[in-house]
Amino acid sequence: MSVLTPRARSVESKHTQVAIYSMGGEISSEQAVRGAIQMHSKRVWRFGLALSGASDVADDLLQSTCLRALERHHQVTSHDRLDSWLMTICRSIWLNEVRARSVRKAQALSVTPEADLIAPGNDSETNIFATEVFTQVMQLPEAQRETVVLVFVEGYSYREAAALLEVPIGTIMSRLSNARQKLKTVMQHEAADTVRRSGK
Amino acid sequence: MKFSDETLLAYLEGKLDEAEAAAIESAVEADPALEQRLMALDPFAPVVQAVFERVPVETPQVDLPQPVVPVVRAGGGLRLLAVAASVAIIAASATFWATRPEPLGWVQQAAIYQSLYVPETIASLDSSSQALDEQFAQAEAQLGRSLNREELETLPGMELKRAQVLSFKGKPLVQVVFADAEGRPFAFCVIRQGEGAPNKDVQQAVLSGLVTANWAQDGYGYMLIGSNDQTDLSGQLDFLTERFAG
Repeated sequence: MSVLTPRARSVESKHTQVAIYSMGGEISSEQAVRGAIQMHSKRVWRFGLALSGASDVADDLLQSTCLRALERHHQVTSHDRLDSWLMTICRSIWLNEVRARSVRKAQALSVTPEADLIAPGNDSETNIFATEVFTQVMQLPEAQRETVVLVFVEGYSYREAAALLEVPIGTIMSRLSNARQKLKTVMQHEAADTVRRSGK
Repeated sequence: MKFSDETLLAYLEGKLDEAEAAAIESAVEADPALEQRLMALDPFAPVVQAVFERVPVETPQVDLPQPVVPVVRAGGGLRLLAVAASVAIIAASATFWATRPEPLGWVQQAAIYQSLYVPETIASLDSSSQALDEQFAQAEAQLGRSLNREELETLPGMELKRAQVLSFKGKPLVQVVFADAEGRPFAFCVIRQGEGAPNKDVQQAVLSGLVTANWAQDGYGYMLIGSNDQTDLSGQLDFLTERFAG
């Protein structure tokens, strides 16, 4: 297990969490939803950030998503994959209730990515690189950004992301390809830096 | 169609032409295993994930309504409430009990009763010898002893007006009322306290606005009550203690 990459470990832990829900046959749907909220609040917030590009909107989206999920706990028939269910609710609230007003606001203020979310007051080389990657991802078009976060960050497979975002799997792959093209520059910088550091 | 890792990596790095890329993408749609291989080879995913896992730094807080308390717990809650309420009642009762006024003794009660007397109360009393005969007979029967009516009729400065049978906590209490020179009420009270009641020396106190003196001897309590808080009882007190103190 020690050979797993960090990402693979994260994906594995996600499925372990799902297994915990599957085992608990006696917990009520409300308990399951409360547990899922507690377990996945960071992921829902990140998805809210990916959708909206703004941390204050991500805060609101997370709060609204959790309240909505709790209201609808009766609809939960399976305690598996409640994370996907929360993501779907979050995106639905974003598209139907928040997006129009947030995009107007963003255009008015021409907001830049909140790089301080990554490296608050720290200028080490690692943080500089992380800030560049973060900024690059946040500057992707919204469709690419949400796809990158779901697949690269949260470990959803292409088909899971396709189901969640209600697009064909081919669309997911082409969005990721376009995103990779834009991220290439900063990644090549990192590769060059790595070579330079190892050459010292 | 089989794709080598090199080909898949070339796709991920954007180095394949459009037709080669399209071939891989359509193959992935039907082949979850190929999809897993492709994802595992993606050099961008771990970098982006490592960056975004640091966001947000702290677990965001969510305000959720409290869970609906199960019915069983609610019953327990009500029982707890009932216990709390009864504890509160007990505490309040204990406080009331601890701070309740001392029960009034016969001396205090007699003073309160006497304080309601005004000259008019006694002015119209039938103080004929015949009326007094009946009253004293009845009073002495209740008390089980003589009241020395002849002596009382000579109490200095006082006119005997009436003897009245009262009761305090089941004990016979006789109030003998006099009028002083100005017609103001003055009282001498005797209560039968029963054998074993302690003897008490003369105590003087102003009760209910009236000067009083009381003592106890051989199972009987005695009390003098003046017409106000300035009355000089000394003359009557000497007279009575001499005749009712043994």
